[in-house]
Amino acid sequence: MDMEISKKEALTMHVDLNSCFAIIEQQANPLIRNKPVVIAAYDTPRGMIIASSYEAKALGLALGLSVADARKIYPGVIVMMPDPEKYFDANRRFSKVLNKYTNNVVAKSVDEFAIDFEGSPAIRAGMTMEEIGMKIKEDVKKELGSYVTINVGIAPNRFLAKLAAGLNKPDGMDRIDHANLREILSGLSLIDLPGINYRYQARLNLNGIYTPLQFLDSDLDKLKKQVFGGIVGYYWYLRLRGYPIDQIDFGRKTIGQQYALGQRTMDINEISKLVMKLSEKVGRRLRSANLTAGGIYITLGFEGYKFFGHRQKTKERIFATQQIHFSAMKVIRLIDISSKVTNISVTVYDLKDLKYRQISLFNSFEADLYSIADASDEVNNRYGEFTLTPALMANMQDVIIKRVAFGKIE
Amino acid sequence: MRQKIDQEVSVVMYYSARKKMALPHLISWQNKEYRVGEIGYHHKFREGRTLFHIYELTDSEHSLWFRMKLNTDNLHWIVEAISDGYGD
Repeated sequence: MDMEISKKEALTMHVDLNSCFAIIEQQANPLIRNKPVVIAAYDTPRGMIIASSYEAKALGLALGLSVADARKIYPGVIVMMPDPEKYFDANRRFSKVLNKYTNNVVAKSVDEFAIDFEGSPAIRAGMTMEEIGMKIKEDVKKELGSYVTINVGIAPNRFLAKLAAGLNKPDGMDRIDHANLREILSGLSLIDLPGINYRYQARLNLNGIYTPLQFLDSDLDKLKKQVFGGIVGYYWYLRLRGYPIDQIDFGRKTIGQQYALGQRTMDINEISKLVMKLSEKVGRRLRSANLTAGGIYITLGFEGYKFFGHRQKTKERIFATQQIHFSAMKVIRLIDISSKVTNISVTVYDLKDLKYRQISLFNSFEADLYSIADASDEVNNRYGEFTLTPALMANMQDVIIKRVAFGKIE
Repeated sequence: MRQKIDQEVSVVMYYSARKKMALPHLISWQNKEYRVGEIGYHHKFREGRTLFHIYELTDSEHSLWFRMKLNTDNLHWIVEAISDGYGD
């Protein structure tokens, strides 16, 4: 039996900051407003663009382009490096505004939030979702600055709310519900749907689905058995019809750090030093969340866009920087490094709460690790990151700088 | 063009009881005085226990932008960067 489109009231809102990093920089510096601005991982020619202002996007200066290529397209482009502390501050202010209206606010990433208004004081007071959206837009300008604009999407579920938020950028506000869902979908392509990438699009095309409307009209059996296989097809079936399938939030699963090497190398000692710094960053985050990990995942990128990734369960649960470094290097030593490394990432997984400290009877080294990690964290909390570091990290203060993750915030 | 500076700088700051805000008012740098125009963004962060305030602002003529850092331990000001609003 076909399930009809949800007639549930549209009480889910998706809000995102327009061109987040670039617009915050334009707010901070009035002299670069209305100009093409790009934020690049590094401002050197090979640095990759991670955010563009609307003016830069209009010139084709898109994400993933190198600084050198951007300058070839538009020599006057303003190139800046990211300022993570400022973006975290903007995220906090943005979150503060939203929490005024309801506490059902979920940060989806540094610049986007999903909000459930069902039963919220604002709705109970008789405000419409559009009125709340307008009020949020005003409050964001007061909190972050007059140049900052946001997109607002209103729908019965998170997926359609995100889709609605992307319909009229910048500074848009749109609603998708049962009354206009078909009309909205008829004007879009598959790739416009959040969560549909080129790979998924190809898979849908292979099954005779070329438009979002055809996707909506596909029967459940086809999506489950042919297109996606199993539960994923079922979720897409519900999601497209406005049912709240994405409202469940899963806990944090991994903690990772990545580094693109400015100076590419094949030297294992150099790589070991960089891995130590990544391990320290991962370890600090792991310990501050009071977690331990049961496995490690390493990726190495090589010149020529070659890539190697390997995961390994660890014998004991790990938490100290030295343990993470040791486990990471164990994996890396298995890899044939026959060309220069361009990229390293260290990720720990199988995270569990550190409820108690189990110390092996025969391994006093583990007790020492706890003490060293605690003491080192206390010093760094007091005097700043990397005040106290393993010897391998000497003179590396400016290597592997702080970055803002684009992924989901837990 | 944006230029890294990292120099100590003289600043006149005032507190407005009406706005409940402390704001830099005048910057004296390289033998020139700049009246503060628009404050684009102000944020704080900690390095260890030291709290820093960052003010990003323009002069009153809107010709130069400054990124200013106030160390709340010693109340010293540093001009971290300047920009004329153009690309390199």
